[in-house]
Amino acid sequence: MAIFDVMGPIMIGPSSSHTAGAAKIGYLAQRVYDKPVRRVRIILYNSFAETGRGHGTDKAILGGILGLRVDDPRIKQSYDIAAQEGVDVAFEQAIDPEKHPNCASITFTDPDGDHPFVVEGISVGGGSVKIVGINGARVDFSGKHNLLFVTYRDVPGMMALLGDALGARGINVAYAQISRDKNTGGAMAIMKLDQPCPGDLADYFRSNTDVTDVVTINKLGNEYERAEED
Amino acid sequence: MSVPKKTEVLDEIKRIRIHGLSDARRLMEEYDILTLAGFFVMYESKNQELPESEVISRMHTVLDAMHGTLREGLEHPNRTPSRMIDGGAAHMDALIRGGGSLLGNQFSTVIRNTLAAAENNACMGRIVAAPTAGASGVLPGAYLTIADAHHVAEERIVQGLFVAGGIGECIALQASLSGSQHGCQAENGSAGAMTAAALVSLFSEDQEAIESAAAFALKSVLGLVCDPIAGLVEIPCVKRNVMAAVNAVASAEMALAGIRTVVPFDEVVQAMDHIGRDMSSSLKETSLGGLAATPTAVRIAAEFKRIRP
Repeated sequence: MAIFDVMGPIMIGPSSSHTAGAAKIGYLAQRVYDKPVRRVRIILYNSFAETGRGHGTDKAILGGILGLRVDDPRIKQSYDIAAQEGVDVAFEQAIDPEKHPNCASITFTDPDGDHPFVVEGISVGGGSVKIVGINGARVDFSGKHNLLFVTYRDVPGMMALLGDALGARGINVAYAQISRDKNTGGAMAIMKLDQPCPGDLADYFRSNTDVTDVVTINKLGNEYERAEED
Repeated sequence: MSVPKKTEVLDEIKRIRIHGLSDARRLMEEYDILTLAGFFVMYESKNQELPESEVISRMHTVLDAMHGTLREGLEHPNRTPSRMIDGGAAHMDALIRGGGSLLGNQFSTVIRNTLAAAENNACMGRIVAAPTAGASGVLPGAYLTIADAHHVAEERIVQGLFVAGGIGECIALQASLSGSQHGCQAENGSAGAMTAAALVSLFSEDQEAIESAAAFALKSVLGLVCDPIAGLVEIPCVKRNVMAAVNAVASAEMALAGIRTVVPFDEVVQAMDHIGRDMSSSLKETSLGGLAATPTAVRIAAEFKRIRP
């Protein structure tokens, strides 16, 4: 542990797992979605469902989805901010013993409910979180790494293309995971990188005709450390 | 062959690993570092690869946030949606103003300020989870209140926060700071030990005194369970912050009086670890036992499950 893990984080109370962790799940989920949020459905599971109201878990997840950091006092007013920004929000509560005790499933859609994009996250304690599912694919990442997500038409050679281009820029890949969706013929690559993926490299990947989407997320610090500004 | 100077030796060290407070104190002697705060500044600087100036500057940010939580907690009504927390700090303030303090206003102010900070956490205020959100009232309530009452300079207050952080680190390394792993002894117990040590460091550089204060505070709450009503960080958490705060003050004063711990701090922490492992999971933040299982708590929990904006 570090001294500032003991003496921190600075956060909105009352609970590191049920409030700060919830905000971080929401924040990471909207970063992965990477589109303006118009309509969102959130299912709180198990302990998040049982004690979420008293911990402000709903407000915190919604605050994160609206881009608020874990120490932003506006988390308390996140329903009002969502209303002002015209974001349609609904919560459900469910008990599912198959899922982690502190679990949330977040479904982003168009305003009319089309094009669902589902992110599932868990809060594992002390404000640490993991994203464990994207659109049904099992994933495993936190805000502790620089991340690169590429969705593409499932053609051979895509990993080589990504790896070569990153390697040419001296960016080491710490972890990579690929999955494909048989129904759509689409595939997704998630990479944890030792350095952030530069914007022009992301644009280079986007220019590939087989690539449908590229999202980069820089490592989050204790209170997100203004991750996307640097 | 020339013997390298100590500063050169320190420059070459890349990482510092310790297992507990006794390691820290041994390394302080080895490296000729005079204060525990100085050691933990270096520890953080080396291990996180940050300049010491950056490490100290970050602790100033922590101090500012702690002052902020005290201010918010004293200004706001502090009422939670469950109504289990409802303006305790304001009640204490009225008692002080009405001359009703039993032991003098400074002692009552520690109680009031600890309530304010812990209630601010319960009410979704901005807090420092030191060491956890559930025990976040103790350092602001006892340490800052006493430091401010003695007009301690800000630099020195920041140094004391490194002592607090270092004691917390020694607990994390040998046991846990989490109520779900080791019960409330790990949360408010640790907060009390951190606060007691930090308080002593404001008035004495005697390492035995600092260690003894931390040991006294933790020894007195060994076995304390985590049994929050309806799983909320409200009851008994807020009042247990007050218990940890006044326990820290008493522990610090005993240490400053020259009383010394018989059992070294690290061994107290190891005892806490064993007790935590032996503790039934119903008493570790699951709200299945203890106060959370009383008929009153079960009724409150049933009323309070539905999410409403």
